[in-house]
Amino acid sequence: MVPNEDEIYVCRCEEVTVGDIKRAIAAGARSVRDIKVRTNAGMGVCQGMTCRKNIERMLREAKIDLDVCCTHQRFTVRLLNVNDLTAITNEEGE
Amino acid sequence: MSLTADVIVIGGGVIGSSITYYLSKRGKRVIQLERDYFNSGASGSCDTMISPNTKEPNEHLQLALYSVELYKTLSSELGRDIEYEQKGSLLLIENQEELNIMEGIVKKQNSLGLNSRLISAEETLRLQPGLNRDAIVGASYSEVDADVNPFCLNLAFADRAAALGAQTFTHEGVQEILLHNGAVAGVKTNRNTYYAPIVINAAGAWAPIVGKMVGLNIPIKPRRGQTVITEAVPPFVHKLVNNARYIVGKHHPELLKDDHSAKARMGIAISLVQSRKGNVEFGNSREFVGYDTSNTYECLRELIKNATRIIPGLKDLNIIRTMGGVRPHSPDSKPLIGFVQGVPGFFLAAGHEGDGICLSPVTGKLVSDLIVDGKTDVPAAAGFDPNRFNLF
Ligand SMILES: Cc1cc2nc3c(=O)[nH]c(=O)nc-3n(C[C@H](O)[C@H](O)[C@H](O)COP(=O)(O)OP(=O)(O)OC[C@H]3O[C@@H](n4cnc5c(N)ncnc54)[C@H](O)[C@@H]3O)c2cc1C
Ligand code: FES
Repeated sequence: MVPNEDEIYVCRCEEVTVGDIKRAIAAGARSVRDIKVRTNAGMGVCQGMTCRKNIERMLREAKIDLDVCCTHQRFTVRLLNVNDLTAITNEEGE
Repeated sequence: MSLTADVIVIGGGVIGSSITYYLSKRGKRVIQLERDYFNSGASGSCDTMISPNTKEPNEHLQLALYSVELYKTLSSELGRDIEYEQKGSLLLIENQEELNIMEGIVKKQNSLGLNSRLISAEETLRLQPGLNRDAIVGASYSEVDADVNPFCLNLAFADRAAALGAQTFTHEGVQEILLHNGAVAGVKTNRNTYYAPIVINAAGAWAPIVGKMVGLNIPIKPRRGQTVITEAVPPFVHKLVNNARYIVGKHHPELLKDDHSAKARMGIAISLVQSRKGNVEFGNSREFVGYDTSNTYECLRELIKNATRIIPGLKDLNIIRTMGGVRPHSPDSKPLIGFVQGVPGFFLAAGHEGDGICLSPVTGKLVSDLIVDGKTDVPAAAGFDPNRFNLF
């Protein structure tokens, strides 16, 4: 059985559905970050690794020009333990 | 689509959106223009604190206390949960010298109506377990301090304003301000021309660039803040946690003058909060590096060193991302709010530095009072008049 498309999760980490993204686009969202602010999609533990491509595709399908092909990511792009980062940054500095 | 309005607001941060909402509520027809998306500036890369406790005991504190009152009913007024929660805030005091100065500051805060008080290290630990007992001698505590979700706040203002008839356009940057006989007549964006006799510059750290369009020299400078965000964890941070050192340093700059450490140079503070979803956000810096919002390893190292020294348990958390944004810094750290003398119709509402989230409701109220009534009951409003600086 095909579930109602609007109920499908696009962002599993933050539990954001196709319907949520459609509503954000209807409210004026035009970029991945715009959608992030309205729905929190992309703000979960994986930081958009899973959902970003699908959101970009939905924006393209809604005929919205993406000004960037690849949304800029800040580090960390992988989960990083506070203690480990302390160790890495110490090596860099000392 | 109507291209004329009573007021045009430039900027889609919390300040621009709050102003748009309060003006719409007073029946003004408003056009709000944001060159990127809502929260693309400082309002989308900040902490969540509504903290009168961190304010200097002057007009600034009075303004913050007024905002605190407005916040109490804001969720219901805007018809949306903005995740406002009164948690109370701690300013951690690390040595006797800081304690002596904080005694004086707390007295002054009390006389202006903030019920802050000094508490022992033991009581501090009871309020916020997990603090390193050896790192503190006590704290000042204020109960009315709260936090809020800035994303929800900004969109709640903007969406409510739109429901009241405001026209909000994102991805539309103002490129030119139209003058007629020296007075403001409208603005030109990358798409359209809009007309209104009043234009409000609420462009945050970019306010000087907008000011240049009418020949002004607005003394606001971008001041970067970097932050670290962890994955969601069970309740761990119960209070808003800050270092007293920051407010102490404002009163006694000589105390920080001889401190040439990387920490002092980058203005590192703990600024610890936990969101409703459970993400812990900590650390923030104060750096003058132009409009560069990137993260640097050097700063993150100092943020983490400072934070884990104070709350060792942070070491066990996993970071999901880092963040950087530019606060609109004003030379006397007070925002500039009012009509600019010499350019009729040009209104400035920017320079909220590290307090824009806290001060957004009162700023919207103050601006709408000044524009609709020509006067206001907001205390100490005259202290924020932009004409205190030479703007030409
Ligand atoms: C790390 C950090 C932590 C912070 N923590 C707190 C806190 O806990 N509590 C608190 O109260 N405050 C905090 N602040 C401060 C707060 O974020 C700011 O004071 C507030 O967001 C300023 O809001 P604003 O609307 O003036 O500016 P912004 O949010 O920067 O909005 C200005 C907007 O104007 C737009 N713009 C610029 N030029 C144009 C143009 N030509 N045309 C159209 N639009 C234009 C920009 O794109 C931007 O969206 C923090 C800031 C930082 C950086
Ligand atoms: S799936 Fe969207 S942040 Fe992980």
